[in-house]
Amino acid sequence: MQKKWVVIFCVCVCVFWWQGSNESLPSAAAVMFLKFSLRSVFYGAGGGNDIQWCFSQVKGAVDDDVAEADIISTVEFNHSGELLATGDKGGRVVIFQQEQENKTQSHSRGEYNVYSTFQSHEPEFDYLKSLEIEEKINKIRWLPQKNAAQFLLSTNDKTIKLWKISERDKRPEGYNLKEEDGRYRDPTTVTTLRVPVFRPMDLMVEASPRRIFANAHTYHINSISINSDYETYLSADDLRINLWHLEITDRSFNIVDIKPANMEELTEVITAAEFHPNSCNTFVYSSSKGTIRLCDMRASALCDRHSKLFEEPEDPSNRSFFSEIISSISDVKFSHSGRYMMTRDYLSVKIWDLNMENRPVETYQVHEYLRSKLCSLYENDCIFDKFECCWNGSDSIVMTGSYNNFFRMFDRNTKRDITLEASRENNKPRTVLKPRKVCASGKRKKDEISVDSLDFNKKILHTAWHPKENIIAVATTNNLYIFQDKMN
Amino acid sequence: MEFKLEAHRIVSISLGKIYSARGQRGGLKLHKNLLVSLVLRSARQVYLSEPGCPPEPPHAACGPPEEEPPPCTTVWAAGEPPPPPQDEAARGGPRLPGADCEGPRSRRCCCGCSCCCAAGGGEANPADCATAGAAAPPPPHCPRKRSAGERGQAGSPVKKPRREVEDPPPPPPGEQEDMDTGNVASLISIFGSSFSGLLSKEPKGRRRAPLDGSETAPAEAAAEPGQICCDEPVLRTLNPWSTAIVAF
Repeated sequence: MQKKWVVIFCVCVCVFWWQGSNESLPSAAAVMFLKFSLRSVFYGAGGGNDIQWCFSQVKGAVDDDVAEADIISTVEFNHSGELLATGDKGGRVVIFQQEQENKTQSHSRGEYNVYSTFQSHEPEFDYLKSLEIEEKINKIRWLPQKNAAQFLLSTNDKTIKLWKISERDKRPEGYNLKEEDGRYRDPTTVTTLRVPVFRPMDLMVEASPRRIFANAHTYHINSISINSDYETYLSADDLRINLWHLEITDRSFNIVDIKPANMEELTEVITAAEFHPNSCNTFVYSSSKGTIRLCDMRASALCDRHSKLFEEPEDPSNRSFFSEIISSISDVKFSHSGRYMMTRDYLSVKIWDLNMENRPVETYQVHEYLRSKLCSLYENDCIFDKFECCWNGSDSIVMTGSYNNFFRMFDRNTKRDITLEASRENNKPRTVLKPRKVCASGKRKKDEISVDSLDFNKKILHTAWHPKENIIAVATTNNLYIFQDKMN
Repeated sequence: MEFKLEAHRIVSISLGKIYSARGQRGGLKLHKNLLVSLVLRSARQVYLSEPGCPPEPPHAACGPPEEEPPPCTTVWAAGEPPPPPQDEAARGGPRLPGADCEGPRSRRCCCGCSCCCAAGGGEANPADCATAGAAAPPPPHCPRKRSAGERGQAGSPVKKPRREVEDPPPPPPGEQEDMDTGNVASLISIFGSSFSGLLSKEPKGRRRAPLDGSETAPAEAAAEPGQICCDEPVLRTLNPWSTAIVAF
C-alpha cells in the first residue's frame, strides 16, 4: 500500500470525525472524499499490479472454428462507459449496455448485455477498379451524448456512416382511423373520436443511418477521430486525411496529402490519426516509418507541413531486415489530459510528451522475446498485425495486446507491468486472473510459457478501457472478454 | 554467408507475398505491400552487396572463389533470359552493357548457385550443399533444395532443376509453392510481362474501351481483369520491385 494512501486515509478519518462534531462542514463533499479515498486504499486504484483483475463476462461463440465474419475488428466504449460497441469483419456492429448498478449487488458492477445489433456496412463492388470493398468495420467512434439518442461513427475501407441508436419504449395507441394492427378503418364506421395516447411497450432499440460519408477516399481508411468541437471529424487513409462536418456529407476537406507525384517514390504511408482531446485545431498522424506528425489546422489549409515531428532515432544495434516493419506505428492515442500521446509499434509501446519531439518519455517492451523471431513472423504474416493500445481513465496505466491471447498493462507510476490471458478457462466471475509469464530463453520455470509454444493465431489486437472505471474489454479473435477489478 | 542465404530466402518470401496479394479481397493493401517491398529492397541490397564467395569451409557449397567456372555463369544467365529486356523496360532506359551485370553476376553466381541450394531456407540445406560439394565437385551441379516432394532427389544433383532453369520462359505461372530461384524466374516473367504491359497504361477502367488489340496488354493482365491493375498507383510502385526481381 502506498504511503500517500495511508496519509489520505488518516486525513479522511480526521475529516469524518471533524464533520461529525462540526455541522458547518459540507457533509456531502466530505463523505464523497472519504468514500473515494477509502475505496482507493482498500481496492488499490493505484497501479496495474495493485488492481486485481477478475473475469466478468465473455461474449461470442464458444467453438474453436471461427467464422470469418465474426472476427472482431474494433472495440470502443462510449464517453460514459455505459455502452460498449464492437465491430466485426462481417460489417456488423454490436452494442452492449451496462446494467444499472444494483444497490444490493455491491460486489460487482453491472454486466454488459446486448443492447443493439445492426448491419453497418455491406460488401460493395467498385466497378471502375474491379475491386471488392470489404465490409469489415475498421473503426467505431462514439459521439458524446446530446439527447436521448446515441450516435456513433463507423467506417469500413471506403465509407463512413453516422448511426443513430434510439430507444423506443412507448407507442401511440388509440388511433381513430387505424386499427391496432395498422389496417385502416372505414371512416364511415367512426362514430366517436378519441385522442391517441402513448402506452408503454417492450423496449425496442433502433439503429438508423443518419449520414453516409462516401467517395472521399481512394485508399483504405484506417482511422476516424471526432474533434473536440463535436462538429467535425477526420478520416485518414494511407495517403490522405480528410476533414468532415458531421452534418455535411457531400463535401470534405483534404487536410493532409502525402501522396508523392510519382508513386514509385512512395516511402511511407499514414497508419493512424487522431484529434487532440482538447485543442480542436490540433491533430496527429503516425506513419509507417515510425514518425508522428502533429499538425495545427490554423497554420494552413493543407497541413502537409507538420508543426512537430516526433521521431526516435533508430538503435543501430537492432538493425535487421525487418527494422522498418517493426517500427511502423500501428496505433496512436492521446492521453485523456492531452499532454501525452501513446504509440504502438510491433514490439513496444511508447509514450511521448507533446513538448518533446526527439524521443519518447517512456518506452515499454510488449514482447521483446519476439525480436529474434522476426523472420518467422514475417513468413506467417504476423509481423503485419496492427495492435492497438489504450489509456485508463486517469492516464496512469496503458494496455495493449499480444499473442497467445495475452494482453499487457504497464503502470506508468510504479513502472510495473503485468501480463494476463483472456481465456475461457478462467470462466468463473470474480476469479482473479493469474499473471502470466513468457520465458524468453533458457530454463523454463513452472507456469511459464516458452516462446515457441505461443499460439500466434490467438492475438489480441483490440482492447478498450472504460473511461471512468476499472473495466476493460479485450477482444480475442471472435470473443469479447470483459474484466473488472476486484471489489470487496 | 548466412546473410546471403537469409536475404535470398526473404526475397523469395516477399515475392510470394506480393504475388498472393494480388488476389486478395478488398484490393491491394498499400501499407502491407509497401513494407514488403522495403524488405525486398533491403534483402536484395544485402544479397547484391555481399562479396562473392567468402571462403567458408563449413558451408562448402560456396567454394573458394577460384572455383567459378563458366558453366556457373551459363546456369545463372540461363536462369534469367527474360530479365534484360524487362529490366530495360522497367528502368526506362538503356541498361549498362554486360560488363555491369555479367561481371558481378558471374562472381556472385557461384554463391548464387549455392544459395540456390539453400533456396527456401532451411537447416538441411547447408548439409545438402556440403555433401554435394564433396560428392559432386563441380559447383554448378550443387544440389538445389526442392519442394518437399522432391527432397528425395537432393542426393542426385540437379539435372532436373538445371533443365528447369535453362528452360526459356514462359514457365508455368502461378507456382507459388516452390520458392527457389527457378520459380523466382517464373515469377519474374509473370511480373515482367504484366508490368511492361501496365507501364504505359492507365487504370483498367479506362482501358476497357480500347480492348480490340490496340493495346499491348499482356494476356495475363487481361485474363485477370482488375486483379492486377486494381490500384494503378500501387502497381506503379511495384516497378522498383521488378528491378529487384530482375536483378536475379
